[in-house]
Amino acid sequence: MHYARGNYLAAAIMLAPAVLLLAVFVYLPTIEAFRYSLHRWSSLSPTWTYVGFENFRELFADPTLWRALIHNTIYAVVSLFFQVFIGLVLAATLESGIVRRRLAGFFRISIFIPSILPITAIGLLWTMLYQPAVGLIDQAMTAAGLAAWSRAWLGDEQTAVVAVVMVSQWQWTGYIALLFVVAIRAIPKELYEASMLDGAGPVAQFWNITLPGVRETAIVMASITVYGAIKVFDIVWVMTNGGPNSASEVLGTFLYRTAFRNDMVGYASAIAVVMFCLALIFGLIQIRLQRERPE
Amino acid sequence: MHRRAALALGAGFAATAALRPAGAQAKAELNFLHKWPEPDNIAFFRQVVREFEAANPGVSIKMEAVADDPYKDKIRVVMASGNVPDIFFSWSGEYAGQFVRAGRTLDLTAALAAPEWKDRFAPATLVPFTFEGKVRGVPMNLSAKFLAYNKALFAAAGITAPPATFPELITAMDKLKANNVVPIALGTQAPWAAAHYIGDWNTKLVPNDIRAADYSLAAPEDKLFTHPGYAQALTHFGEFASKGYFNRSPNALTHAIARGTFTAGRAAMFYEETLGFKNYAGTKLAADGWSFFKMPAFPDGAGDQGQITGAPDGFLVSAATKNPKEALAFLNFLTTRANGAAWTKVSGRPSAVQGAITEEVTLPEIAAGIAQLGQATGMALWLDTVIDPRVVGVYLPGMQAVLGGTETPQQVMDKIRAMAIRVKKERG
Repeated sequence: MHYARGNYLAAAIMLAPAVLLLAVFVYLPTIEAFRYSLHRWSSLSPTWTYVGFENFRELFADPTLWRALIHNTIYAVVSLFFQVFIGLVLAATLESGIVRRRLAGFFRISIFIPSILPITAIGLLWTMLYQPAVGLIDQAMTAAGLAAWSRAWLGDEQTAVVAVVMVSQWQWTGYIALLFVVAIRAIPKELYEASMLDGAGPVAQFWNITLPGVRETAIVMASITVYGAIKVFDIVWVMTNGGPNSASEVLGTFLYRTAFRNDMVGYASAIAVVMFCLALIFGLIQIRLQRERPE
Repeated sequence: MHRRAALALGAGFAATAALRPAGAQAKAELNFLHKWPEPDNIAFFRQVVREFEAANPGVSIKMEAVADDPYKDKIRVVMASGNVPDIFFSWSGEYAGQFVRAGRTLDLTAALAAPEWKDRFAPATLVPFTFEGKVRGVPMNLSAKFLAYNKALFAAAGITAPPATFPELITAMDKLKANNVVPIALGTQAPWAAAHYIGDWNTKLVPNDIRAADYSLAAPEDKLFTHPGYAQALTHFGEFASKGYFNRSPNALTHAIARGTFTAGRAAMFYEETLGFKNYAGTKLAADGWSFFKMPAFPDGAGDQGQITGAPDGFLVSAATKNPKEALAFLNFLTTRANGAAWTKVSGRPSAVQGAITEEVTLPEIAAGIAQLGQATGMALWLDTVIDPRVVGVYLPGMQAVLGGTETPQQVMDKIRAMAIRVKKERG
């Protein structure tokens, strides 16, 4: 009894600094954002006007919000497909023995490299590659006789968002695949050997052993990908600024522009609250999914 | 071991704490925030600060600098935080106006009329920093915008003189196109480059008083941004894109890349700030020969054909400063003729100080451009700094939409009007 109480105290003392830091830098600002969102104010003016839920009413009537939400959704869906699904397929392929051992090592490193490059550098690099006429992509298409399909990828309202989203896939799919490699290695080898004796091919093994075996990792990866899609900002800001004409605006760039360029801090806080609620919903779903583990 | 280290550290802190008051108490401290962190530029400022501190032992200056774009964010954050620098950079026009309206800046009218400031700045330079009759800023730089052109490409297309009117410009561009040359290089990935065209054309197509009332949102609600000149400016802009007077897909290019195509001799014209002229040395363009001309006049335009797009930028003094006298003394020292000339030489930016720009410190073309600005009927300030930022937030993407052909000028103007009315209502 006594021993247990001492244990609690020790645990509390050791957790306190982390909890304190979280409280000051995460929870407090979150609560503050709610408070800000109920006011109309700018960074320059000392006057705050309480407007209740007026910012939210305006926000939900603002077409830019819905445009941004659609773009975040595109980002999430494409990322789930490429990073989680294709990432898993890549990992399974690298681990299956189809690829020779040494070659597998080479591929693992090559697909991982984009994830260690700084985002700004990647953004600028791809901006160059996407340039009309002088960019590598345009030139390659022209050389392949596809000049008719060439576009100003980042400058065209129809293609800007997809062009940016694909850069993130290029960057992160390899990273997620490598995390799946680790998860696959944790699956007991015997299961594969036994299934082989039962006559299962690689595809059957993937669906019946690999996939259930990495379920936990897959849920975490899917959650990380979705959170990433909700809060994406940097790559979009570097490559298109959310433009042209808001064609690649996401919640993050919309928030930033509203707060720091248009100087509507209350309104920007309302956007932040919406992002927070979205992340919260997905967080709850993730917790729910992880609890329902099939034994 | 640990305890000893902690003790030593503690002793160190105690020692510095004990030492500090002796030196600091007597000194007036000035916080100074600007937007020229580039190595050469910051070296100039450091030198000026050192010289000023040496001459004024009672003053110490804490300087901070962040680049152009991040500056716009930084200044809002420091304003909201309450740690307002004593002296801070601002563009002129509405950008400074928002600080003035919020009561964050000192009235410098009386100070600048004092003998130590006499003849420092041309009166026109102070106008964009004057609000309700009170001067609020000390100008640092002047900049003006001109159409730079490639002489060889003009000659090859049979253009003998730079166009003076809009119809002449169209004729010249048709000749260039017929000669398989892109008439104008434009990159609007960052849309301010578009704003300079629209801003200039607005001054030429909308009468001055109407435009001023619209920009400041003083016009009555049913009149705000209703003059047809605004839509006309956007229409011309859209036509420049659709008729191939601009390069393909300006929205995909940065301003720097667009300039690159111009200096590489692949486009005949580029709408350039005087400051940008210094990028031409050693390029294909320099070999071809180049010059510049004013944005041509619209013969039937309802606005002021004599204005040139350009503006001073400079410094404001915080209303909350504890040391206004020292702040002004520093700004006075920063803008002496000698320092103005030195700054122009280092940064390439034409100093706003009268008599500081000579051909010894800058390119003859830059000096000539600034001289033309002096003779203009007025300065058309940068559109994106002259209107409320929320209206700009609708105007800029609208220009991209017109370029891309996804929205009509009238649709864009409707959105601008709606936002202008909303902001006007909120201002009350």
